[in-house]
Amino acid sequence: MSVELTYFPYLSCILLSCLVGLLVILFIPRERETLVKGVSLVFSGISLALSIYVYCAYDRTHGGLQFVEKLLWVEPLGIHYFNGADGFNLPLILLTGIVHFTGVLTMWELRGRVKEFFAFAFVLVLGVFGFFMSMDLFFLFVWYDVSLFPMYPLIAIWGTTRKEYGALKLFLYLLAGSALVLPGIVYIAVASGLHTFDILALMQPGALTPGQQRFAFLLFYLGFGILAGVWPFHTWSPVGHVAAPTSVSMIHAGVLMKVGAFGILRVGIFLCPLGWEYWAPVMAVLATIGIVYGIFVGLAQTDLKYVVAYSSVSHMGIVGLGLATVTEEGLNGAIFQMFAHGLMTALLFSSLGYIYDKTHTKSIPDLGGMSKVMPVASGYFIVAALAGMGVPGFANFWAEVTVFISALKVYPALGVLAICALVLSALYMLRVVQRAFYGPRNERYAQLPDVSFGLGLPRMILVAAILLFGLFPRLMLDLVQTAVVPFMGGLPR
Amino acid sequence: MKWLIFGPEIYFLAVAAVFLILSVIRPTGRRDFLAGLFLAGLGVAVTLASLRLEGSLLSGAYRVDLFSQVFKGLLSLGFFLVVCLCSNLNGIEEGRHSEFYLLLATCTLGMMLLVSSLELLTMYVALELASYSLYALVPLRSGAGHQTEAGIKYFLSGIATSALMLFGMATLFAATKTTLISELALKLPDLLSTPMAFIGLLLTLCGFFFKLALFPFHVWAPGVYQGAANQVTAFVATATKVAAMAMLARLVSMSNGHTTLAHVLIALAILSMTYGNLVALVQKDFKRLLAYSAIAHAGYSLIGILSMNPTGYAAAVFYALAYLTMTFTCFLVVVKVASDGCDLAIAELAGLHRRSPILAMALMVGVFSLGGIPPTIGFTGKFLVFTAAMERGYFLLVLIAMINVVVSLYYYIQVLKAAFLLEPDEELPAIRLSAPATILTAVMVVVIIVGGLFPRYLFQLAQAAVQVLH
Repeated sequence: MSVELTYFPYLSCILLSCLVGLLVILFIPRERETLVKGVSLVFSGISLALSIYVYCAYDRTHGGLQFVEKLLWVEPLGIHYFNGADGFNLPLILLTGIVHFTGVLTMWELRGRVKEFFAFAFVLVLGVFGFFMSMDLFFLFVWYDVSLFPMYPLIAIWGTTRKEYGALKLFLYLLAGSALVLPGIVYIAVASGLHTFDILALMQPGALTPGQQRFAFLLFYLGFGILAGVWPFHTWSPVGHVAAPTSVSMIHAGVLMKVGAFGILRVGIFLCPLGWEYWAPVMAVLATIGIVYGIFVGLAQTDLKYVVAYSSVSHMGIVGLGLATVTEEGLNGAIFQMFAHGLMTALLFSSLGYIYDKTHTKSIPDLGGMSKVMPVASGYFIVAALAGMGVPGFANFWAEVTVFISALKVYPALGVLAICALVLSALYMLRVVQRAFYGPRNERYAQLPDVSFGLGLPRMILVAAILLFGLFPRLMLDLVQTAVVPFMGGLPR
Repeated sequence: MKWLIFGPEIYFLAVAAVFLILSVIRPTGRRDFLAGLFLAGLGVAVTLASLRLEGSLLSGAYRVDLFSQVFKGLLSLGFFLVVCLCSNLNGIEEGRHSEFYLLLATCTLGMMLLVSSLELLTMYVALELASYSLYALVPLRSGAGHQTEAGIKYFLSGIATSALMLFGMATLFAATKTTLISELALKLPDLLSTPMAFIGLLLTLCGFFFKLALFPFHVWAPGVYQGAANQVTAFVATATKVAAMAMLARLVSMSNGHTTLAHVLIALAILSMTYGNLVALVQKDFKRLLAYSAIAHAGYSLIGILSMNPTGYAAAVFYALAYLTMTFTCFLVVVKVASDGCDLAIAELAGLHRRSPILAMALMVGVFSLGGIPPTIGFTGKFLVFTAAMERGYFLLVLIAMINVVVSLYYYIQVLKAAFLLEPDEELPAIRLSAPATILTAVMVVVIIVGGLFPRYLFQLAQAAVQVLH
């Protein structure tokens, strides 16, 4: 058994902290709810700390794949346990750590079947972490499905509006996506003649013919695209987000949709670059339709959570547009947008979740004047909404600007269309904010308490992160650049 | 000393004899169970001890090699696991318990003989020994109605397929002038282009299609699964499938990669998966649902065999093990929840997560494994099977199989929904598991997950086992 271990296995320790957290929770009696929450907080805190460490300790001058852990797993099939961190996945590992930690804090007031909730949440996050750091197609797929199946119980048991329908639809849609990904993965391993699932080995030029790349890329784009909310495969996402409980919406919109987009990048674009270039115009068109569509459908919603859910569709369209430009800036912007949107949408769902828990309504006309009742809770929502509009000073601004600049160069018409739509989105977000948070106060909710310091903590962390990367975008852009530049330079032209 | 390689078979013959004597002196059911558990556990040890034996008996008609020994190990494991479920054998009258164990033992013995036989007539005799034990086991259930109907259906369709199979064997003999598999394997590849040999081989395969419940030989499955006692169904659903997969691999490997045969098998695999999954969508009874899921799984396992390459046969062996563990886990839940020995409707699983969290967890793991979701042994089995098919370039077959997997997830999720989401109309008491039962459940969960994550050694064993096939 050959082992390549150049560093202390920080990445595996992140996975291990989730796994140990899960096991510890399984052995706690179900009545000890506070203990379950405490254990979740501790272990999600450990994984957050480790992901921050890995993010900071990554050597930017050398670049490339670091923190490599490689272990031959199934010899006859060429399966490796192969983890590594580079400029592509580090932002997303950090994002997962932040969102899971804040998600646990957000669910502090959960009542009923607490043990199962946090156990399933750990399985979900375990899968997501594993997916982001894996460099072996077999494990990548295993983690992918591990992150999907807990969604069903999480939504169906603890969810709200039309939860069983939403959960089932989401589950079947996403697994239909994996039904395309798995044949694609096996196809690549076999068709390349290398009989390995190691992504680095499969990346070498000439492993696949252009025709094979075009075919395989389509499979990956469709398969992962379903999870990334690419129009027209997005229909599971608003229903699922609305049905899910708060922290699951946060993880789901914040992290899981990025799993889809990252899958397109790590598997589709890495292994089938020629297919990527071939299908890029189609990706760009679908992404632009997604941006415009998400905004227009969002305009017509009266349910606050639907508004947020559709804004996710349109923001994920920006990620797709960045990927479709086939340029350095586009890729960089897409990664940054995944990160920034993850934080922003987690904040939106988190603050929305608090308001819903207290008022038991998500209807915009019913709310009204919430900023007078809960000034702090409303504040968080408004901050997130501003970030989503791309106001300078927030991380999303840099991400969107980077994507749109490169899009204007490559696809001028689509770029202009997307920018116009985004201006419109500012209009409708402001309209929502004005109706729900300003204006006359609804007396029914006048006595409700505002968010306490403890419950405000997760939102503060998210706001701080958005501001940090908004004010110092180079913390992220430079890191992503270390991966993007060599990758684009190595493409066969 | 040459007879030592016959060890597992002699052992199980002895087990059958013990229960024959017990059935004559008619002790109480409890003593039967303890004797059965002890003897079955010892049986697993005996077969595992003889895993590395090799040799040939009866002038080549009976061969002991790693392939047969691995499957004997699986069969004795299946026997042991099913006996573990018999602590409260409420579905069968107390006075008949020793007959139940007797028939179970002879059936296992028959299948053990089967996986070692390398001659068509030996094969037939062994198969019939296993089949007739099952024909008697199915109607053994107490109560009126279903079990008799199921038994008669099973018997009639079973002997009809046997007739087909005999006809096929006769045709093969007419075409090749031999009944020895080793000689058939030399002559068949050239002769398969003639209709006579081709049809002969196909009809011979039918007998095992029937055991595997492959479409269109599946008609008995739903009735028998529902009609037989839960423990008998568990045995039919696990051990007999394993034996059928072994024999299909052995017979199909004779054709040496014949394309037309592969095409026929592809058609059968697709039909079986699609039919099984679509009909399973509307089932209300859990055992009936598992029957249709078995029809679908017959298709998946056939994909490994029809790939006709080393990876494919090894994948099929791996899949047999995976299928044994995950199906058994589901039946474990059936037996424990329906402790009165009745059938179990899916709706009756309601509230299981409170009545017995560990059974609910086992059900989730077992069902997700059947649905092919990682990190379970069922996923790894499917992954191996698909890799083998992809090596032969059957991309569309893999895609259709994956679409089928997604369809199947719908009904598996309905089972989980009942167990985790729905609440029973009236409050049901918690299910108390004895300590050994809890351990067994936990072990099954661990085996499914660990087998899925660490397939390395099992797969290497499977690869070594199938070396004799080519």
